[in-house]
Amino acid sequence: MSLLEVENLRTHFISRDIDNQIRVAEALNDVSFTLEAGKVLGFVGETGAGKSLTAQSICGLLRPPAKVICGRVTFDGHDLTAMPADDLNALRGAEIAMVVQNPRTSLDPLTRIVDQLVRIHQAHAGGPLAASRTRAMEMMEAVGIPDPKNRANAWPHELSGGMAQRVLIAMALMNNPKLLIADEPTTGLDVTVQAQILDLLKHLTERFGMAMIIITHDLGIVAHYSDEIAVMFAGTIVEAGPVSEVFEAPGHPYTRSLIAATPERLKVGGGAKLGGQPPDLYNLPSGCALRTRCVFASDVCATPPPRTRVGPDHDVNCHFAGDLPS
Amino acid sequence: MAETVGDEFKRDRAAARPFSLKNRFIGIARVSPTLASGVIIILAFGFMAVFAHWLMPHDPVSAYPERVLKPPSAEHWFGTDGNGMDVFSRVIYGAKFGFGIAIPAVILAVAIGVPVGLVAGYRGGLLDEVLMRFFDGLRVFPSIILALAVVAATGQSLLNVVLVLGFLDSPVFARVVRSEVLSLRSSVFVESAKAAGNPTWRILFIHLLPNAIQGATAQAAVRAAWAVRISATLAFLGVGIQAPTPEWGAMIRQGAEFMVTGQWWVGIFPGIALIFLVFGLNLFGDGLQDLMDPRRRAVN
Amino acid sequence: MTAPVLTVEKLVKRFPAGRSGLFVNAVNSVDLSIAPGETLGMVGESGSGKSTIGRAILRLTEPTEGKITFDGRDITRIPDREIRPLRRDMQMVFQDPWSALNPRMRIGDLIAETMKLHLDLSKTERENRTVRLAERVHLRPEYLRRYSSDLSGGQLQRVCIARAIATNPKLIVLDEPTSSLDLSVRAEILDLLAEIREQSRAAMLFISHDLGTVRLISDRIVVLYLGAVVETAPGEALFADPAHPYSQSLLSAHLPADPEAKLSRHLLVGEIPSPINLPSGCTFHTRCPVAIGACRNEVPGAERIGDAEHYANCLRIAEGGNRIKPTEAA
Repeated sequence: MSLLEVENLRTHFISRDIDNQIRVAEALNDVSFTLEAGKVLGFVGETGAGKSLTAQSICGLLRPPAKVICGRVTFDGHDLTAMPADDLNALRGAEIAMVVQNPRTSLDPLTRIVDQLVRIHQAHAGGPLAASRTRAMEMMEAVGIPDPKNRANAWPHELSGGMAQRVLIAMALMNNPKLLIADEPTTGLDVTVQAQILDLLKHLTERFGMAMIIITHDLGIVAHYSDEIAVMFAGTIVEAGPVSEVFEAPGHPYTRSLIAATPERLKVGGGAKLGGQPPDLYNLPSGCALRTRCVFASDVCATPPPRTRVGPDHDVNCHFAGDLPS
Repeated sequence: MAETVGDEFKRDRAAARPFSLKNRFIGIARVSPTLASGVIIILAFGFMAVFAHWLMPHDPVSAYPERVLKPPSAEHWFGTDGNGMDVFSRVIYGAKFGFGIAIPAVILAVAIGVPVGLVAGYRGGLLDEVLMRFFDGLRVFPSIILALAVVAATGQSLLNVVLVLGFLDSPVFARVVRSEVLSLRSSVFVESAKAAGNPTWRILFIHLLPNAIQGATAQAAVRAAWAVRISATLAFLGVGIQAPTPEWGAMIRQGAEFMVTGQWWVGIFPGIALIFLVFGLNLFGDGLQDLMDPRRRAVN
Repeated sequence: MTAPVLTVEKLVKRFPAGRSGLFVNAVNSVDLSIAPGETLGMVGESGSGKSTIGRAILRLTEPTEGKITFDGRDITRIPDREIRPLRRDMQMVFQDPWSALNPRMRIGDLIAETMKLHLDLSKTERENRTVRLAERVHLRPEYLRRYSSDLSGGQLQRVCIARAIATNPKLIVLDEPTSSLDLSVRAEILDLLAEIREQSRAAMLFISHDLGTVRLISDRIVVLYLGAVVETAPGEALFADPAHPYSQSLLSAHLPADPEAKLSRHLLVGEIPSPINLPSGCTFHTRCPVAIGACRNEVPGAERIGDAEHYANCLRIAEGGNRIKPTEAA
């Protein structure tokens, strides 16, 4: 059994506009994937593709007007979609932990960092305070905060962005989670600091045997830090598979255009670019959402593309999977 | 190159539909019942003010000496007052004064306050300090006392009441606009306007003003309610508009005398009208921000 | 060689650090020059002063010390009212196109604004030019009547670029123009910038934190660290042979989108020091893997490397000790 199984997850934003008309944004459409214990899965895609929303839907962190329409999320044998809110609360921060972008706004500005670490441990594990404090010190050490004894009493505003992200990672680790979701963990940090944080995350998953989902728009991060990749477009996973497979032989036209647009591959002034506008989630084309921008599209693309296996564990959602010229 | 597939497959759910006032109103009412109730109340009073002459069964200022202080009846729905005037007609006519004072007073307050807030917020420094301290000075006095003093000194005319209220209320708009401008002036589009070569006046009035005015529109309704209330209070205190002018404050003042002797209808009905209009304007001002909250739009 | 369109000499910018009486040393004695038609890339991490330099050049922030010569004229201290007409020849494109455009103005008016301010055109002529500009930046003319909230990030950045090129400026400062855009959109905007550079021959200062992007569009690249230039080189030379230890680690921190690519990591220790208390000597010595005792005291000058216009500010270049030993990482 896999640690996390997501089947046909659909999340829509259903709202009423000022003219009393119901508007539906189809933000997630049939997202399915599995994650094995101890593995790292990288979600890539552009703004609005539904990467973060997938994570929020899994953890039950959606706020109205966002709503899970259907789908099943099974984590460690529990069906999260059917779980009462209290049980889900107990799971979040303990079994499933999250590290988000903008570390500084994610810390309570009025609480010393050690107390924030202790607080999350107390909330889930309980036990004597002293034990929580010891654990906090251990975790600060583990995430490479220099001089943890002194830093423990620092206030969030005294930390640099990189340091704040380390504190947030320490918080996520306090209760020994089985799954860590890192949502753009290094966006906004400098490249030299980014490398430190990513190395740390990778090292920690190995040391504690955690599974990790990295959500990012940076293909470079996924290429070097995850085992598997899921490429999202318009709320669908259009391609998924082992990282080396997908980069070696990308099967979906969208994946190809993404890889071609990375600075190393990009030819300014030359080469076919994807072109067109980002998908309007309120008005998605029928069938494949990419078909209005795809050079390979034909009439058949107006019907939903099948999920096709093109290699070991490598799936592509495209009518022409495997038949595209390379 | 992206046009290989015709758009005929596109599910066109966002097709332009004709504007419908009914749908717009129901839409607003679902997002913000507060705003919708405010709109209904204000529209009702607006209708009363505009069509007063058709709605009034009697002349609001002709006295029927033989019908002094009659309780509500089929002929006089709200009874008659101490002069034998029809209270119902006077309450309807009073809406004209409510709007007639509130609207010009708020316009004046906006006309003074907004440019001051704009300049003070953008320029900052000493100019800002001086202007804002002066306006703070205006605000530390209880406005009713200040209004009383000024109206008493300048003469008790409708125009003076409007001028005084407008002037006294301008700091509110200056404050709102200034705080907007303080956060907007370091925004990228203002820097971009500067980089494009805009002179200061264009930055102020073309770029900042339209973006800083939103907070002030919500305030305008709330301050109109204030103006209605204060002008009625002035009249009630005997300053400003005098009886037998059919102004609600003046009517309440007159009615208060009869309350003790049991003729409650003289003061109660204009009082209710006043409460409703003030309430409606406040509901409108508070409800405007509900429209911005996406959670209120959720459908379950 | 033609006279540069812009020269910056010993530019210094200090901001007061709150009410502490201390100063943030944002820019510390920077020299730059840009030839007509040249694209100069400026790379640095946060706190490197790159945006401050861009803004000081356009006099959007007042330089503390130094001299800025634009088009042969010293503009360091001239008053605002004399700057304004010069803005016709120096324009700027900002990082975040969502916030760089007045949300209450129509797209067409936004594009026409710079022409309205600087060129003496009839209304029809201005409108015609606006339509032509929209075509040049590949924006459909029907968008001219819309507001910024109706457009996507890529379209908005096209609007910003149209605004900047409307008056045929001699210099365009682009402050991270593609950083907030998605990958495929970024590619299109870079294409557009290259196209405009060909057509207009305007000089460009392209500011970015991403070396990979800068390389695609620049003739020459300047690397900044803590408000000072550490290396200047033609793009290819910098990538082939980064001389300054900071440039080396910056390059090595980049993650290519290729899982097979070997990473040779020169990870730096710690984070960038506070610009309030600059380290003495070479400001990089606190994090430099190859620093020696002299780096603490001596401020390195620009050393020429090879034959090309390649300079680096490092004391250890003379003895060849500037190379960080590669350590392979996972």
